[in-house]
Amino acid sequence: MTEKLSRSVVQPRNPRLNVSRNANLPHVPGIRIGDYIFLSGMGPIDPQTGERNHGPITEQIRTTLRNMQHMLESAGSSLERVVRVHVVLADISDMPEMERVYREFFPIDPPARTAWSMQLRFGNGCEIECVALAT
Amino acid sequence: MTPRREIVASVRALDAGSSFGRSVSMVVRGGDFLFVSSLAAVDPHSGEHVRGTTASETRQILTNLEHLLEAAGSSLDKVVKVNVLLHTMLEAPNMNEVYARFFPEPPPARTVCGARLPDGAKVIIECTALA
Repeated sequence: MTEKLSRSVVQPRNPRLNVSRNANLPHVPGIRIGDYIFLSGMGPIDPQTGERNHGPITEQIRTTLRNMQHMLESAGSSLERVVRVHVVLADISDMPEMERVYREFFPIDPPARTAWSMQLRFGNGCEIECVALAT
Repeated sequence: MTPRREIVASVRALDAGSSFGRSVSMVVRGGDFLFVSSLAAVDPHSGEHVRGTTASETRQILTNLEHLLEAAGSSLDKVVKVNVLLHTMLEAPNMNEVYARFFPEPPPARTVCGARLPDGAKVIIECTALA
């Protein structure tokens, strides 16, 4: 563990999904460090327009998880390599709907997960972040 | 060498009681670390949620966490980061009093945050530990 771990920025192939850069926010979409990728919290951004998608919560979750998949695949990882997820909902009563959509993305051997509810910015219904193995 | 991702099998048996049929693995090993899903206060024998005070729920959760980590070949002294979510930050001192008794010195890094929690829980706790 004495050698220095390499640290690099994770960027989406689709530049419309680089939300922090497009909004000039002081964070990056993700960081790869050693064997791990740490993604920033992601919201429901339409990959065609780069605008927020504030449809029904099931659509917001689906869009967000698709974008997360895109981000991981852009960095050579995948949903199958995710080890831990944080799901933050604006409304705690959306938990069953979230669970239903989430299951489509992690059908077998899902990652460790914590889900809770708190205030989110921009009227988003969800924000999701994860840690994945890089390769 | 490609780092290993593994759902820790020794704790799979406990999953049924603690994940309540959700698409969650309680402990996932990725490379050198164990990632533990959030634990709510669950009776390890009945698998039922235990409703109590913040202090009693914290005690139940950390007791279960200790068992989970040990079943996965780790332990409380190998925990590097803990996230504690409370239904209200006013209860933080009640949680801390119990929490301090579980972790040997020096305790792990920790974040405590007030949030709305699923299933009426007063506390949920998750952590990352060395495998």
